[in-house]
Amino acid sequence: MAKKISVGIADMKIARQEGELITYALGSCIGIAFYDPMIKLGALLHIMLPEKNMADSNVLKYADSGIKETLRKLQAFGARKSRMVIKIAGGAKMFEMKGPGGLGNIGERNAQNVKKVLMAEGLRVASEDTGANYARTMSLDVETGKVCIRSAGKPERIL
Amino acid sequence: MAISRYEEINEMEKDIFKEIGSIGGGNAATALSSLLSAQVNMLVPRVEILEFNEAMAKLGDPEEIVAAVMVQLSGELQGIMLFTAPGEFTDEVVFRMFGKTKVSLLELDEIDISALTEIGNIVISSYINALSALTGVEVELSVPQLAVNMLGGIMSLPMAMMGQHSDGIMMVTGEFDIEGKALRSGMLLLPDVESLNILMKKLGVD
Repeated sequence: MAKKISVGIADMKIARQEGELITYALGSCIGIAFYDPMIKLGALLHIMLPEKNMADSNVLKYADSGIKETLRKLQAFGARKSRMVIKIAGGAKMFEMKGPGGLGNIGERNAQNVKKVLMAEGLRVASEDTGANYARTMSLDVETGKVCIRSAGKPERIL
Repeated sequence: MAISRYEEINEMEKDIFKEIGSIGGGNAATALSSLLSAQVNMLVPRVEILEFNEAMAKLGDPEEIVAAVMVQLSGELQGIMLFTAPGEFTDEVVFRMFGKTKVSLLELDEIDISALTEIGNIVISSYINALSALTGVEVELSVPQLAVNMLGGIMSLPMAMMGQHSDGIMMVTGEFDIEGKALRSGMLLLPDVESLNILMKKLGVD
């Protein structure tokens, strides 16, 4: 059994060659798995909100700053954007919320912005499991690049 | 002193929320007691300001399936309130109300769901009534919403709400004791920071 490395909320971990990066119960948050198959380098990022608020120094909390920081680190470890495979999960709407404020569709806004930021970086989402109304646990096996999604009362899904 | 982040709440202010929690919890216990025709007590609540990952660790396994009732607050106070109940709690409720045993949280029927939504609503309203009575702020509550899913996913809503301004959330947690059986449940009172300042001012701790 490969070593499990847990990724928290507003957190990111990198592993090489072997190990499993895992983040638990993504609700409206989004998990973004980055993988360079040639050098078997992977990262898993868990973001909470779409856009960075200027005053906040916690870059991994947001889609825009989190993706940039992850790419910067991965490239420093020798990853190339041209080889990178990106998979995303999460962005659910856990409660039906009415009224303004935009909090009800935070998951959807997260997913949209993650894709927008990735596209601006010249990256494409290879596969995704987003939306709906349930939480997902996401893992990335760094040896094979396999991404697994686990949710309550549903069979495991491979992305 | 006005605060801009949750982390700046001091001990005295925390104590006030503890007091609100005690009164609200007591009222909730009384209401639950008549609904379930059982003796219900509320243990002294804890008030904690925790960083997101700490809060998750404290609440339990992020993958645990819980029933959660959420109500949005508006009026003089903006924010949300969330009541979470794990399987042992809902089992007890469904058993006491309908005589059903061991219903999986993922297989609740419509009647179970409306009963649990109502319980969450009662608990939440009791807290808000205590808060209103103590501070004189008028709060309107939205229609309660129930979700049954992984705890971590449920918590993403309050965390996303607080995330823009803070790296932590305030939790008022309490345990209900139904006929001598201690049952874990979570209560999250999440006024936004602006509302928190209004509250402090009304209470004179400003």
